[in-house]
Amino acid sequence: MTVTNLRWMALIISFFVLILGGLIGIDLGGFLPTYACPYVGQTRGGVCFLFRLQFILGVGSWEAFKALGEHLLYFSILVVLIGRAWCGWICPFGFVQDVLDLIRRKFHIGYIRFPERLRANLRCIKWIFFFIALLIPLWVAYPLFAPSVAGDLRQPFCSLCPGKYILPLVIGDPDSVAVDFKSATTITMTILGLTFSTLTIIGALLKRRFWCPYCPMGLLLSWYKKISFIKLKKDCQKCTMCEVCYNVCPVEIQQVFKERENEDVTFTDCTLCLRCVEYCPEDGALRATFLGKTIYKSTSKGFFSRQHIIPAVPEEKHQKAALEHTNE
Amino acid sequence: MNKEISQNKSPNEADQLQKRKDHFARNLARSAKTVLAELEENPDLPLGMHYFINIMREVFVKDRVHQLLLPSLHQSTNNRKIIGTYCIMVPEELIYAAGAIPVRLCGGSYEASCIGDELVPRDTCPVVKASIGFTSFNLISLYQMCDAVIVPTTCDSKRKMGEELSKFTEVWMLEVPHIKDSEGSRRQWLQQLYVLKKNLEKFTGRRFTGRKIRRKALDTSIKMIGSAQYQARRLYEIRKSSAPVILGREAMIAINAYSYATAFEWTKAMTGLNDELEARCHKGQFICSEHTPRILLASCSPIFPNWKIPSLIEEMGAVIVADESCMGNRYLYDPVGLTEKSMTDMMVSIAARYLMPCVCPSFAPNEDRLFRLLQMAEEFSIDGIIYYVLKGCVIYDFELIRVEKIMKDKNIPVLRIETDYSSEDIEQLRTRIEAFVEMLGTKKRNSLATKTLRF
Ligand code: SF4
Ligand code: SF4
Ligand code: SF4
Ligand code: SF4
Ligand code: SF4
Repeated sequence: MTVTNLRWMALIISFFVLILGGLIGIDLGGFLPTYACPYVGQTRGGVCFLFRLQFILGVGSWEAFKALGEHLLYFSILVVLIGRAWCGWICPFGFVQDVLDLIRRKFHIGYIRFPERLRANLRCIKWIFFFIALLIPLWVAYPLFAPSVAGDLRQPFCSLCPGKYILPLVIGDPDSVAVDFKSATTITMTILGLTFSTLTIIGALLKRRFWCPYCPMGLLLSWYKKISFIKLKKDCQKCTMCEVCYNVCPVEIQQVFKERENEDVTFTDCTLCLRCVEYCPEDGALRATFLGKTIYKSTSKGFFSRQHIIPAVPEEKHQKAALEHTNE
Repeated sequence: MNKEISQNKSPNEADQLQKRKDHFARNLARSAKTVLAELEENPDLPLGMHYFINIMREVFVKDRVHQLLLPSLHQSTNNRKIIGTYCIMVPEELIYAAGAIPVRLCGGSYEASCIGDELVPRDTCPVVKASIGFTSFNLISLYQMCDAVIVPTTCDSKRKMGEELSKFTEVWMLEVPHIKDSEGSRRQWLQQLYVLKKNLEKFTGRRFTGRKIRRKALDTSIKMIGSAQYQARRLYEIRKSSAPVILGREAMIAINAYSYATAFEWTKAMTGLNDELEARCHKGQFICSEHTPRILLASCSPIFPNWKIPSLIEEMGAVIVADESCMGNRYLYDPVGLTEKSMTDMMVSIAARYLMPCVCPSFAPNEDRLFRLLQMAEEFSIDGIIYYVLKGCVIYDFELIRVEKIMKDKNIPVLRIETDYSSEDIEQLRTRIEAFVEMLGTKKRNSLATKTLRF
């Protein structure tokens, strides 16, 4: 079983649990660091933390803030535990993007890559979304001016989030894809949201993990990268700078292959999907660690078997040998 | 193809020229034969080596390269174009996918370098001299057989060589950026490869159909070369073992032979050799004791038939377990890493493979090479480095200081030798190498002795 297959399995299972789990009575709570979007309706198996965050801030009472503290604590624990592996292995919206990506690959269409400059300029988007999710709910709670507008905003980021429109659509609920004609505010917000959704669908068909670099949830998760238990590590001497890890990376992180000094290569956008480790052709150049213990490691043999150059070696076999060697 | 030589010459001159050519060709055959005979004298020569030795014999002694590259007279292979390449930045995958056959032309013959001497400035390196000599004089038919020659713009000499070669044959320059890690240069390199792809398509296509390089064909050729690389890596893995099972000068011939063989045939032979060597490892059939000093031959490439330095080192009682030349360990090391089968991904991955991990000194900064050397020194348990500079190769010589510095920290001695293809300085080199190897031997014995004492 390759890591890619394992990851697909995890993504599929979590998609069912988080999006359809409600059908069998699963409720994992309101602090999930992933797009467990409540807008899918009764079938949801948990609630996206961003939704709760905006909701609680929007209430604005003392009790609400206390509840927020509690939520934040649980949220943090979950993130510290596996870091942004939530994005690579669990997020239902990540899964939807990966499926669209798979369709592209099946048709042998190449992917698009944004130039460095453009990527750097777009980096501010997630911050804008983040502040929308953080500050506007406070205005909702304390509508000191334009109260009618504030009242219609409620969970402002959710109205913009493509998850709100696409995830219900995926499970066959086309009603979500509609402009809300309640007021000028709702019309604007839903039109914007639908625009982002359309862009994301088209984008994800042409570019790997199109939405993730702009996702405010991803931003929140990335703040924990220094203390989270899972880390991506590199042995700079073993690395040949072959750029393979950059080319396979769905979020196009250059720093992993360019790093020449530090061992820790868990960068902000990294979704810990471990594709880079899987495809790195050098023994032990890249590895993933859990609490400092190596759990997965790049091997030259693994590389050649994934390129279908040598018959598929059972992954477990050479991984085991490689791991024993490091953890000695 | 030999425009300059045969045209505009009176019959008498042409006659003389022919005589000179025959003279040089005879000498070349003789020196190639000597090297091969020396290799074959070794009673421990692995059986699998005969294929590679034979390739060299066919190309340089018997001058029958045609049979090697186009073995059958079958229509489909007979029409195939042969494309000469220099350096290691020319993507062979594209050439194979276009239905052509690549051969690497970097020259290693003393005789050819003497001819080249008259055509280029005195300070040019012998590789370039020999390559020009070979092409201008048609010493062996290999150079004449090429329908086009691709010259990457690497070091100054190679670049100007491209210009000179265009007097004799069709030359395509391939612009290699000299700074690897800027995004712009990488994009430009990718564009270059797209242009190359188009040119190849035009060149190999039949008149009207204009055969395209198809996705499937490219995928197949990537896999084919990938298999060759896998076998090459296996050979390096074997050479890492504590007691050697193959001499460096033999292993290097095997890799060098890839230049003149088709990837498929070569891989088959290499698989056989590796199996044989692995069996030797299991049986403990080592060719020398583990006290033998292990040498890393750094910098310039020994290219057949110039086997002067590898032979000298191993005659003096050391063993070359690795080299970092672009005709040796580096030639077939870095693979193309595909994740999907789209043309984009293939082209991007090919571009990455030929540019980014390449540690040719024509790049600056070239820090990667230092990392690579450190890693090799560790992996191959190197006792000493012989830093082999061909006269005129300024760029490798430039990096000596940095290499010496990092190796000093690792307590690995470095010996710089500068030479060319002639055998004039052989005695002097012998003395220096002998002293160096002796020093390494003493050091190694002492350290092993203290180690056993301690345990
Ligand atoms: S719309 Fe987006 S941010 Fe809001 S709950 Fe759904 S997934 Fe979370
Ligand atoms: S960054 Fe991507 S994977 Fe992570 S939560 Fe956002 S949409 Fe999901
Ligand atoms: S794939 Fe591995 S060897 Fe290649 S650049 Fe990345 S870390 Fe280095
Ligand atoms: S850096 Fe590696 S683990 Fe992180 S997103 Fe890229 S490929 Fe995945
Ligand atoms: S070291 Fe560089 S310039 Fe010299 S032959 Fe090799 S690839 Fe060409």
